[in-house]
Amino acid sequence: MHKSPHTMIQSGSVSRRTMLRLGSLAAGLGFGRLLQAAEASGTSERSGVLVFLRGGPSHQDTFDLKPGAPAEYRGEFRPIATSVPGLEICEHLPRLARQAENWSLIRGITHNLADHGIGTSYLLTGNRPGQTVHYPMYGSVVSHQKRGPVDLPRFISIDEALGDAGFLGPEFGPMSTGEKPQYGMPFRMRGISLSDGMTIDRYRSRAALAKDLDIFYRGLESLDEQVRGLDQYSKQAFELISSPRCRDALDLRLETDEESLRFGRHEYGQSLLMTARLIEAGVRFVTVILDQWDTHQDNFNALADRLLPPLDQGLSAFFERLRQRGLLDSTTVLVTGEFGRTPKINGNAGRDHWARAMCSVLAGAGIRGGQVAGSTNERAEEPTDSPWTPDDLAATFYQAMGIDPGMEFQANTGRPITLIRDGKPIPALLN
Amino acid sequence: MLHRLPFLLCCCASFIGAVCGRVAADETIPAASRRFHEANGDEVPDFQRHVVPLIGRLGCNGRACHGSFQGRGGFSLSLFGYDFAADHSALTGPAKSATGRRITPASPASSLILQKATLAIDHEGGQLLRPGSWQQHLLLRWIAAGAPTAQQERTIRSLDLQPKSLQWSAVGRQAAVTVHAIWSDGLREDVTCLSRFRCNNDAVASVDAEGLVTATAFGDTHLIAFYDNAVAAIPVINIDTSRPLPAWPADPPAATIDTLVNQRLNSLQLVPSVICTDAEFLRRASIDLTGTLPASDEVRSFLADPDPSGNKRIRKIDELLQRPAMAAWWATKLCDFTGCNPTQQAELGQELAEQWYMWIYERLRQNQPWDQLAADILLATGRENGQSWSQYSAQTSACFREHQPASFTGRRTMPHFWSRRTVSKPTDKALSVAHAFLGIRLQCAECHKHPWDQWTKDDFRQFSRFFEPVQYGLAADALAEYQQLAGATGMRGGNAEQGTAVNPEQLARAKTGQVIPWREVYIKPQETAVTLPLLRSGDVTIQPGQDPREPIVRWLRDPQNPWFARAIVNRVWASCFHVGIVDPPDDLNAANPPSNPELLDWLSAEFIRRNYDLRWLLREITTSAAWQRSSLPNEVNLNDRRNFSRAVPRRLPAEVVYDGLRQVLAASDRQQQVRSDLTRRAVGHLSMRMAGTWATHVFGKPERAVACDCERVNQPSLLQAVFLQNDPLVHLALEESGWLQEIRKLHSATAQNQNNWIDEAWLRACGRLPADSERQRALQHLAAAESPGAGLEDLLWSLLNTKEFLLNH
Repeated sequence: MHKSPHTMIQSGSVSRRTMLRLGSLAAGLGFGRLLQAAEASGTSERSGVLVFLRGGPSHQDTFDLKPGAPAEYRGEFRPIATSVPGLEICEHLPRLARQAENWSLIRGITHNLADHGIGTSYLLTGNRPGQTVHYPMYGSVVSHQKRGPVDLPRFISIDEALGDAGFLGPEFGPMSTGEKPQYGMPFRMRGISLSDGMTIDRYRSRAALAKDLDIFYRGLESLDEQVRGLDQYSKQAFELISSPRCRDALDLRLETDEESLRFGRHEYGQSLLMTARLIEAGVRFVTVILDQWDTHQDNFNALADRLLPPLDQGLSAFFERLRQRGLLDSTTVLVTGEFGRTPKINGNAGRDHWARAMCSVLAGAGIRGGQVAGSTNERAEEPTDSPWTPDDLAATFYQAMGIDPGMEFQANTGRPITLIRDGKPIPALLN
Repeated sequence: MLHRLPFLLCCCASFIGAVCGRVAADETIPAASRRFHEANGDEVPDFQRHVVPLIGRLGCNGRACHGSFQGRGGFSLSLFGYDFAADHSALTGPAKSATGRRITPASPASSLILQKATLAIDHEGGQLLRPGSWQQHLLLRWIAAGAPTAQQERTIRSLDLQPKSLQWSAVGRQAAVTVHAIWSDGLREDVTCLSRFRCNNDAVASVDAEGLVTATAFGDTHLIAFYDNAVAAIPVINIDTSRPLPAWPADPPAATIDTLVNQRLNSLQLVPSVICTDAEFLRRASIDLTGTLPASDEVRSFLADPDPSGNKRIRKIDELLQRPAMAAWWATKLCDFTGCNPTQQAELGQELAEQWYMWIYERLRQNQPWDQLAADILLATGRENGQSWSQYSAQTSACFREHQPASFTGRRTMPHFWSRRTVSKPTDKALSVAHAFLGIRLQCAECHKHPWDQWTKDDFRQFSRFFEPVQYGLAADALAEYQQLAGATGMRGGNAEQGTAVNPEQLARAKTGQVIPWREVYIKPQETAVTLPLLRSGDVTIQPGQDPREPIVRWLRDPQNPWFARAIVNRVWASCFHVGIVDPPDDLNAANPPSNPELLDWLSAEFIRRNYDLRWLLREITTSAAWQRSSLPNEVNLNDRRNFSRAVPRRLPAEVVYDGLRQVLAASDRQQQVRSDLTRRAVGHLSMRMAGTWATHVFGKPERAVACDCERVNQPSLLQAVFLQNDPLVHLALEESGWLQEIRKLHSATAQNQNNWIDEAWLRACGRLPADSERQRALQHLAAAESPGAGLEDLLWSLLNTKEFLLNH
C-alpha cells in the first residue's frame, strides 16, 4: 500500500525531519510530481542495494579488459564472451557472463579523487565532498524517501557504516551489523541481537519498568517535539528489538545448506545471501561491503584466487535469487568500488589507485539489463567518447529507484540543496 | 488597510512632482506602478532600480527559472539579480527567436521577453505579466528606449519599511506595508511594488506579493522586505488579549537580562514559568556549564544546604565556573565553532586536532578573553616570535617526543585552523573565518547574490582576497633547510617545493627526540600594496609584507563591529537556552533578526566592556531568572520557544550522554574520579578521539566537516533508542559497572539496602530523589528479580532509558 506524504510526516515527527519533508514538498514540482509518478509506477515500493567493492577494483582486470594493450598494461587475464552479444568480461567471472542480460555495465566513469577516504565519499553520495555541504549516502536518501515496516531498520550496512546521512541527520544513517556472516557460524547484529545473558522476557520486563518510570512530562507530550520524539523512538526500538522479523532475516541457519552453498562458503557469498534475506524481509536499503580490492601487490593472483571467483559466485547467486523471487523488479542494485587501478602494472605485479577510469555495474528495478554505456581508450586509461562521472552514476541509480536526482532538500544550512547537482541519468541504462 | 490610504494620497502628491521633474532631495519618488502605468511616457525605467528588481519580483531570476545555473531555455540570469552586466547582456543578447534577439527596440511589444512573459507564445514559466499592466509597460518603455544599462551604478543606503511594527490582537487582521529605497546619493523612491516580501514564520503571519500582511495565528515573527541588495525587517506581533494571564511568578531580584527578557514578555503578554527546583537547577547548571551530570553526594549536599536558594545557586555557579570540566566542555564547543576536525588536517589529523583542543582548553582555564583567543588563532603562523625555520621545526618536533615533550599549549598562537586541507583555497578560508568568528554564512555569495542578505559576489570575492597570501607549506627562506633535513631523516617526497606531510615513520623519529622537518603556516609576501573593501566596512590597504589578517583582526576587535561579539554571545546563549536570540545561532543576517534585539545588544556591549570575558558571560546568563525557569509551561507560554519564558527541554549532548552513562554506573568509590579525570572523558581529552565513534555519532557529535553549527544534532532518533536499549556497549557498561559489581556480590538485600540503592540510582541518573510512587515501583521490581544485582541492573537500564535522564530540563 502506498502511504501519503502526510503519514510519512507523522512517522517521524521531529522538527528537522519534518522541515526536510516540508522543504521537499515546498520545492513543489520535484517532490509532488515524483510522488505521483512513484505511485503510478510502483517505485514507492522499491528497495536498493549497494555492493561496495572496497579498495578500488581493477577495472581492466574485471569488466573492461584490453587484450590488445601492451603486456605491461593488459595483465594476465583473457576476456570471455557473455550472454550479451559483443560484451566480454574477465574469464574469472563465468557465471556473471552467463547472465549478462540481468545486469548492465558502465565503463569509463572518471573522477580525480584517488584516495580511499574522499573517493569513497564521492562514490557513495554522488557528490564531490566539499566544505559547505555534507551529502548523505545512498541508503540514507532512500530511507528518508521510502517507508518500511516499523519493526525493521530501513537501512542496514554489512558490516560497517562507511559514511553517514550528512545533512539529513544521524537518524537516517545505517544500522551497521558490526560483523560479516561466516558460513556455519552464529551471527550477531549490533543493536538487534540480544546480548549474552539477556532473554526476551527480561528485556520486556525491563522495558515495562522503564515505561512505568518514564513519567516525566507525562501529559505534556505536546510540549515539545523532542519529548514526543523520545517517546516514539523508544517504542519503535522496542518493536524492532522484540520482533523476530529482523533477527530471522539475519539468521542464515534458516536457509537450506544447498542454497547457502550456492552463494558460497566465503564471506562474499554469505554477505550477499544475508543481503538477499534482508531485502526479502522488507529492509529498504542494504549496503554490503566486500573487502580486499586494494591490490597494490600481487594483483593477478589475488583476483584470480581470492576475489573474482567468490564475487562471481556470490553476485550471480544473488541476482538469480532476487530474479526467482520477483524482487529484481523492485530492487535496484549498484556494484561499484571507489576508483579503478593504474593501467600500467607496477613493480610488485600490482596496480595502484587510478580514478581517471573505473567501471560499475547496475542491475534490477528501473535498469535495462544487458547494456553497456561508455568506454575507455586502448589502455583503459581514460574514457573515450562520453565520460561519465560518479554524479551521473548516482543520478542513474536514483532515477532507477524512482527518486528524482534533481529533488531539493531544505537543509538547515539555510539553502536548498539539490540531491545530485552535477549528474544526469544515463538514458541507455534506464527502463 | 489603515496604513495604505494616507500613504497613497501622499504618493499621488509627489507623483505630480516627479512627472514635472521637480523632485527635491527630501521628496519621495512615487511608485513605479504609477509612473509607468501608461505604455508611453518620458521617463525611462532604470535598469538597476526598476528592471532587475521587477524581473526578480516576477521570479524570472529564481532558482527554478532563469536564475538556475544552467539557465532555462537558453536564457540565463544571475540568481537573485545583482550581476547587472551579465543580466543586461543576457536580456539584450542573441536568442533563438525570429529576430534573433530577446528584445526588439524597433517594435517593443514583439520582444521575446514580453511575448514569453505574457504567454503570447509558449512559456514554460507560465504567464507572469498581464497585458496592459504597469509591469508590462515598464519593460516596454525600457525596451523602447533602447534597453539602456543603468544610468549610473548606485549603492543603496537603506530601506525604510513602514509601519515600523505590526501589532494585532486578532487572527485575520491585515495591513499593507510600504517600502522606500534610500540611495546613497539621497534619492528616495517608493519601491513597494518592486520589493519581495517574506514572513519568517508563516504559522503566525503570511504576506502576499504586494506586501499585504495577514495574521494567521497568535504569536510573534518578522516581516522581511528585499530590494536591490538591501534587507529590512519589522516585528509582527499578534497577541491573544482575551486569555486570562496567570500571576507573575515570584522571581528573585531581576538582573539586567531579566529586565530585558521580561520587557519582551510583557509586550507579548506572556507570563514566564516559575523558577525551577534546586535539583533541576543543579543538574542544568552542571550540564550547561561543565558538560557533566552532578554527583549524587553533590545533589544531596546542595539540597541540604540551608542557605537561601538564590545565594546557594550563585555560589554553585561560581564554583562550577572554576572547574576544569568547564574549560573542557567549552573547549569542545569552541572546537565545534572553529571547525577542529581530525580528518581535515593536512597531516597527522588526530595529533593536531588534539593540540588544537588542548590549546583552547588551556586558554579557557586561564579565562583568556575571547578577542585575544580569536586573535591568536586568526593571526597564527607556524613560526612565532622571529623564529628561524630550524627553531620552529625543533620546537614542533619537541612537542611529539616521548621523553619530556614540549608543550604545544605554551605556543602563543594556534596555526592548525589554517592548515586544514579543506581551507586550502582563499575562498574556503574566507567562509571559515566568517562562520567561526562572525557567525555569518557567506556561502551563498560565492556563486550569486545572497538571497537574504546584503552580500554580493563582489563582497565575497574581495573578502577572499585577504586570504590569498596565507599559505601552508614552506616559506621561501625555509626551502633549502627543509630539504636538507628531509634528506637527513630519509623523508620521501621531502624535496617538493612545498614540502610534504609528516608520515608515521617520521613521527616515530620525533618520538625518540629527533628533529624532523615540518611544513608551516606562513604569509607569502605580496609584491605591491593592495586596497580591499572589508565586507562593506571600509577599505583597507595592505602593504607588501604585511599580514593581511591583521586589519581583519583589528576590525573584529573594534567595539563597533556588528558581528564579532554578537556571534559568540549568541552562540553561548543558544548553548544555554537551546535556542539563540538569533536562531539558527550561526546565521546572523538582516533577514534573520534577533527575537530580542535589546537583549542581544546589551549583552554584547557589556561583554565587550567586560573585556570579552566568557566566564562573566556564562555567569550573567546562568544567574538570571530567565535561565533558571522551569521547563513546565503555564497556561500562556506553552507555545513560546523563542522569548525565553520557560526552559526548553533539550537532549543531552553526545559527549554528556557518554560520560553520563559511565558516571551513573561507576563504583561508589570512583564517583569523583570518573567525573574529574578529564583524560578519560568524552568532553575532555577523549573529545577528539571519540569523534566518529558510533557511541557519540549516534547522539549527534558533529564531525565539524562543514561550516555549520547545525552539524551538532540533538534530535532524538531511532538509532539512539536502539543504542540505549540494546547496544553491546551499553550491555558491556552494565556488565562492567563498578557499582553493580559491588551489589552482585550480595545474595540478598535488606529493605534498607534496597531503599539506599533506589535513592542512589535516582540521584545519579536524574539528579533528584525518587517520589514515593517511583520507589514503590522500583521496590516491586527488585523483589521480583532473581538477585539484587540483576534487579538493580534492570533499574539502572530503565532509568537510562527515560526521558528524564536523556533530557536537560
